[in-house]
Amino acid sequence: MPKDAIAGSEALLDIRNLSVDFRTPRGRVKALRDVSFPIRKKRIVGIVGESGSGKSTVLWALLGLLAKNAEVVAGEVRFGDRDLLHASEPQLRATRGEEISVVFQDPMTSQIPVLTYGTQMRDVLYRRRNASTAEKRRMAVEMLGKVGIPDPDKRIDQYPHHFSGGMRQRAGIAMALLTGPQLLLADEPTTALDVTMEAQIIHLLQDLQKELDATVVVVSHNLGLIAELCDDVVVMYAGEVIEAGDVREIFHNAQHPYTRALLECDPARIDDVSRKLPVIPGDIPDLTRSLSGCIYAPRCQRAMPICREKTPPDVARGGMSLARCHLLDGPHHDTAWPPPLDVTTVGQGEASARKPARVRRDDPLLEVTDLNVQFETVGRLRARLKGIRQRHVDAVLDVSLSVASGETVGLVGESGSGKTTLGRTVLNLVQAQAGRVRFEGQDTHNMPESRFKPLRRDMAMMFQDPVGSLSPRKSVRALITEPFQIHGVTGVDLDAEAERLAEMVRLPKPFLSRYPHELSGGQARRVGVARALALNPKLIIADEPTAGLDVSVQGEILNLMANLQAEHGLGYLIITHNLPVVRHIADRLAIMYLGRIVEEGRTAEVFDRPVHPYTRALVDGVPQPDPDRRRKHVSISGEVPSLLNRPEGCDFAARCPLAQDRCRTGKPAHVTMADGRRHACHFPLH
Amino acid sequence: MIPVSVNRSEIETGIPAVDASGLPDYVSDAEFRESAARERREKLRMFLTNWQGLTGLILVTLFFASAIFAPWLAPYDPNALDVPSRLSGPSWEHPAGTDQLGRDTFSRILYGGRVALKIAAIGVSVALVVGLILGMIAGFGPRWLDNLLLLLFDTVRAFPTIVLALATVALTGPSLGMVLAIVIITSIPQYARVARTATLTLRNTDFILAERSLGASMSRTLLHHVMPNVVGPLLILAAMDVPVVVTVEAGLSFLGLGVLPPTASWGTILNEGYLVIRDAPWMVIAGGIPLILTTLGFTFLGEALRDIFDPRMGKGR
Repeated sequence: MPKDAIAGSEALLDIRNLSVDFRTPRGRVKALRDVSFPIRKKRIVGIVGESGSGKSTVLWALLGLLAKNAEVVAGEVRFGDRDLLHASEPQLRATRGEEISVVFQDPMTSQIPVLTYGTQMRDVLYRRRNASTAEKRRMAVEMLGKVGIPDPDKRIDQYPHHFSGGMRQRAGIAMALLTGPQLLLADEPTTALDVTMEAQIIHLLQDLQKELDATVVVVSHNLGLIAELCDDVVVMYAGEVIEAGDVREIFHNAQHPYTRALLECDPARIDDVSRKLPVIPGDIPDLTRSLSGCIYAPRCQRAMPICREKTPPDVARGGMSLARCHLLDGPHHDTAWPPPLDVTTVGQGEASARKPARVRRDDPLLEVTDLNVQFETVGRLRARLKGIRQRHVDAVLDVSLSVASGETVGLVGESGSGKTTLGRTVLNLVQAQAGRVRFEGQDTHNMPESRFKPLRRDMAMMFQDPVGSLSPRKSVRALITEPFQIHGVTGVDLDAEAERLAEMVRLPKPFLSRYPHELSGGQARRVGVARALALNPKLIIADEPTAGLDVSVQGEILNLMANLQAEHGLGYLIITHNLPVVRHIADRLAIMYLGRIVEEGRTAEVFDRPVHPYTRALVDGVPQPDPDRRRKHVSISGEVPSLLNRPEGCDFAARCPLAQDRCRTGKPAHVTMADGRRHACHFPLH
Repeated sequence: MIPVSVNRSEIETGIPAVDASGLPDYVSDAEFRESAARERREKLRMFLTNWQGLTGLILVTLFFASAIFAPWLAPYDPNALDVPSRLSGPSWEHPAGTDQLGRDTFSRILYGGRVALKIAAIGVSVALVVGLILGMIAGFGPRWLDNLLLLLFDTVRAFPTIVLALATVALTGPSLGMVLAIVIITSIPQYARVARTATLTLRNTDFILAERSLGASMSRTLLHHVMPNVVGPLLILAAMDVPVVVTVEAGLSFLGLGVLPPTASWGTILNEGYLVIRDAPWMVIAGGIPLILTTLGFTFLGEALRDIFDPRMGKGR
């Protein structure tokens, strides 16, 4: 390996020829094969890959925390003069926490709910025998302050459930850094957080790394995060490192066809919204079978016969850069590869994603007017006993919205903004307290189920969790045909219908006899779409339609949805927090904050000239997959307040950089601007 | 491999969304069939190489076979009197000796197995079905109904089985039907409890909400989508419940509250043997062994099944 030359003094940790197998009932899964890369001192190293790439397995292998059915087949991990892979358990235990520590994906499940942060952090320092309890507490308070927790000396005595999601992740980082480790590992540190929180955590990690001179490894599937945060990048695919290098090299001069394709699939990089989203056709190979040649060859646009026979060489290009591809060296070297950045290498999809102008705004399919949904927080008796007057929270407050046939409306907001509740209220799954929901001119809200049931044929819902929203003990065939049975549709051949729908969502016929747990996220999503479409609905409410899908697959689902819309004139209400995606598919956007719509208008206008400061913060908050466009400052601080203490004035005032006294006292009303956009802000930006 | 995002449904329902082993995304159908078959073979192998599972399976099979084929296997009529050879010890003619009326103990044990099997089969299945239905209603229905049913379950559970049996028998007189009724009533609550808890966790999952959004009725949701997910743990519970039922029957019969003489039952054999324990200890020993083996067999089987189908509860491999 050419890297060995630089690995000596510069590398804090050197992974060499790491191979890991998992023993499963289905055979041995060769999860990691011959993975080698150095982690250089004082750098932020990103390991990026899609699901099944083995990126997290590398992390757990370093710590000796692999699952019980894992087996390290070969390799070594040099950390100083030690080999972590073959270290004894006491040695590893001394290393973990003290020298190498971890920030977990979900602070909710990685912190101990019954201990205060003070106790948990004191436990982290248990090896410091000569430090007194007071000394340990002082260190913990100082570290909490460093990660940006206000009043650390008071909040240290609180429990994890007192902290909000973003605060909890900050505390998680503080706990990991408390011992002053040389290496900090972060596993998807922002995946469980909202966009605005993500930006804050990225900056926090960057600042702390500079301040503490630490080395950080970040594992993520999020290209934006990697570009924004990292110095070095390692790209993994199906258990192999296929490319590694400086972050600019990777994002501006990717050598491997897979890296290239992955970057091209990221909707945040595609400015031209008129084109359909590209996808990488095919799937990750079965790692239980014997593999030969290039692991990416079956999906590669540039695959040559040799790719299927001979493992490609690791072609180095100075520094730690390398890529594993036949195109770069040897007899099949192609000097024209890689092409300039503006040339696309994956299929471009059909030229136009613009649908026929069949949108009839004057006669909306769905019309929501001044809708209010409240949730009870305290029972009547308890409220009486404890003297609590406010028994309800407003999950949805004065929301008006419409969706026409053939139109796609994006409903955007962070978690807790009430967007999912709104979707469920429209479908009569949640009771509304005030306001009106009209579907095709008919008042539908709070209708008794017996009268609403026929309407369910015309409106369908796609749920956030593609696998979890399918009944686990039913075959795909039974799931797809269930709507016919529920609505007593007779005179149809159910088997023929199942095949027709599977065809429609491009699900191969043999899949009809599989069960949900045997499907990948993308396939399960297709089943969800088929189920939604079974009875030819007019309106589809899609809750995070791309959640849980890899970048290379999400385009497929979105393109499918667009095609079906063009064919059947469907109206879509898309509920999401993913701005780059919604920018590509939505005609109009409604931005929700704390249950209210703060801005609504045509997608392009909302993106180009946001009126509400919150919208601007959201638009600026999306990490760009370009290391040269890193943001210098965080666009928005703080977090979404709890519904339990809704601010007196504008809900956003506490976090708004432009807030004035008026914003803190009076709620801004909804205003319709000359161009038809609506907003709720005292001091609109335009 | 750790999945990209936390799968909510997995946490809430305990149903693994995707095999966490990094199974590849798409595979061709033939490959898929092959690997599914491999997984089934592997599960079977795990079961057969698990000494508990195998022992359990053998003992349970032995129990069923001996009870079902008792008329063919038994060397004598279980009620045939042979007073001259009463209380004779184990011999080639009488492998487990004879009782004080000269009846062949071995034949009586085989026939006693029939009583045990009958009580176990009917008692457990009726209790399971009723418990499942009540549990699902409690978990899915309105809050007041849930509270009412829970109160009922807890009341029944609070009664000591034997005291309940004594009280009932004092009113009605001993009979096989009475034993059955008591066994069923006292085991319904535990099935209902498990079914209720499982239903409660399923109630707020996405797929149940998805069914509601399609317009599925409550009975359809319960029957097609809740029940298949609840019934698995109940079956394992049932396997472990069989020994309890068998022991309760033996215990009641021993006390003279269950099966009436001269019908052979393990409990009556023990009772009769107890009276002559100094002269003919083999009766108590011979009556106790099948009880112990059956209890062990079903417990082992239940535990092995749970280890394989619910690895999280197991020792972790």
